[in-house]
Amino acid sequence: MSVDPRGRRIAVVADSLLEQLLDELGAAGFGIIQLPPAGLDAPTTAAWLEQVAEHVTEFRRNDYEVVLASDGLYDGELAALELPQYAIQPPSTSRLIPDT
Amino acid sequence: MSRKVAFIAHCLLNQNAKVEGGAKRPGMWEPVIDLLRERDYVIRQMPCPELAFGGARRFWGVREQFDTQLYREHCRRLAKLVAAVMQQHTTAGDDVVLIGVDSSPTMGVDFTPSAPHWAGQPNIVEDDSTLVRGDGIFIEELKAELDARGLPLPRSTGIRHWFADYDPDEELRRLEAVLA
Repeated sequence: MSVDPRGRRIAVVADSLLEQLLDELGAAGFGIIQLPPAGLDAPTTAAWLEQVAEHVTEFRRNDYEVVLASDGLYDGELAALELPQYAIQPPSTSRLIPDT
Repeated sequence: MSRKVAFIAHCLLNQNAKVEGGAKRPGMWEPVIDLLRERDYVIRQMPCPELAFGGARRFWGVREQFDTQLYREHCRRLAKLVAAVMQQHTTAGDDVVLIGVDSSPTMGVDFTPSAPHWAGQPNIVEDDSTLVRGDGIFIEELKAELDARGLPLPRSTGIRHWFADYDPDEELRRLEAVLA
């Protein structure tokens, strides 16, 4: 095996934000754990969140950085993990600078 | 309105889940993620059975080591979750595909690593496992769970970026055939 380039940083990301944040998180070297989409039945959602919690616990046990990019849908269920919020970057303002 | 949905191995979106030494990128495996986005696929990330079971510090492993009753029970629990999500998509008329990892004893779709002699002290300097035809253990359990629900395994293939003769162009053609 070669040198392992993993970023050792992970964002737990709301399904509704995934597409919007993929480029930004990828550029910053984050791996992603996807939260369940809205609309699944309650037992399936609970099982998915249980897996997220198990993964997060294991990564944090090994000193990986884990942050949360939430849309608020599962904040209650995720509260016990006490994940720091990922600060979503504002849109670029470069287009507002007139050409010279 | 029906959608295109891709169930992908956890590590394709999170390289940190790979066994130490196994990551190819800092965060995600972009060749697959970018292709899915270009093709307007909704991504559904499957859990990583190996991470949840063996932890982030697990040793490399081959199918013969993972193929225990307890690990199969663990995979079966996760397969029930994935199958339940798949079923809700197929019931809605969505077009579902699956992308695994063909160098994995767990997530292999067409290939899985084998080394019947691997045991004991973890001092194998050179990887002398071989890739054999067959499913990984989670994929086998997922097939069984889907079968029990009367659902077929979706069109599927596995990423081969750890194959010695890995050919990105061949992989792209194979992925495109599955996504078509």
